[in-house]
Amino acid sequence: MASEELRPAQAGQGSGSNEEPPHYVVQRVREALAHDERVSELEVKVKVFGRKVFLTGPVSTEARHDAIDAVLSEVLPGYEVHNETQVARLDAPDDVERLS
Amino acid sequence: MIRVAATGDLHFGPDSAGSFRPHLEGLEQKADVLLLAGDLTKLGTPEEARALAEELAGAPLPVIGVLGNHDYQSDRPDEVRALLEEAGVHMLEGEGTVVEIGDEQLGVAGVKGFGGGFAGKCATDFGEPEMKAFVRHTKDVSERLREALAALDTRRRVALLHYAPVKETLFGEPPEIYGFLGSYLLAEAVDAVGADLILHGHAHRGAEKGMTPGGIHVRNVAQHVIGAAYAVYCFGDGDDLRTGEFAALQPATH
Repeated sequence: MASEELRPAQAGQGSGSNEEPPHYVVQRVREALAHDERVSELEVKVKVFGRKVFLTGPVSTEARHDAIDAVLSEVLPGYEVHNETQVARLDAPDDVERLS
Repeated sequence: MIRVAATGDLHFGPDSAGSFRPHLEGLEQKADVLLLAGDLTKLGTPEEARALAEELAGAPLPVIGVLGNHDYQSDRPDEVRALLEEAGVHMLEGEGTVVEIGDEQLGVAGVKGFGGGFAGKCATDFGEPEMKAFVRHTKDVSERLREALAALDTRRRVALLHYAPVKETLFGEPPEIYGFLGSYLLAEAVDAVGADLILHGHAHRGAEKGMTPGGIHVRNVAQHVIGAAYAVYCFGDGDDLRTGEFAALQPATH
């Protein structure tokens, strides 16, 4: 499933509210980040407060970090997105573990 | 002494090119073998596998790997495996291999593994065909792991997995998803025949260190967990590298 197949946020889905419950928005974003081939990250933490979305956690490359903004603009138009994910920069280890 | 470098969950793609190759330079001074614990690619495409294969080609030490769930996402795991093998990586799935290290031998048995959960709180092959297929796949791969390990006639043996064999190395992950991160059947298989170490990845928010009920070391080497490009474990007789000595082998840039 590509991100463009995901339905955009819709108002008034039977709850009497004009806003989609954050509970479902969070999972919709997680699904989009997992399935959109520009990102394919399953470990991004998503928090939604009203019309603000906060994204945290490590991502593998700069390209995937930047693609998150593009995916969010398509999936959640009108939301204020705070992409606070970080590109993991991994060095060689400092030590070796001896197993007994 | 046998020194095992290990890493997992590289999630490699063309946009990762050049990120791992520098770590291979001089790695033969720190380790005797490099083990890759699955999720080698982002989506399991040949293009991604080719990017990693180019990175690993000509590695200065033996490289052995298993695939992870990401490597199956594009339904082309055989192509991913073939491309890595062309680059010299020894890929395992229900198989074992032996590495000659000086006058010692290290046996490595590898399998992707699968989920199902942990004893007392796990899935059972009962009910719908989908549920039976899920659990039976885990039983099948666990049995293949047991057989591959048992066939290794070496004094030192390592089990290389992607999915977790114990809960301890999942601590940090939401407990609700443990059943999708590993299975006790994998640990049971290794405990039945014995090994020195079990390596796995998959659980990015988990913990590095655990132990099977039978007392075998388990290490989660997902890169996010170890916080490094790879980890090194050693066992056996002889002098190990102590902290200062190991640090002295680091590239000058680190």
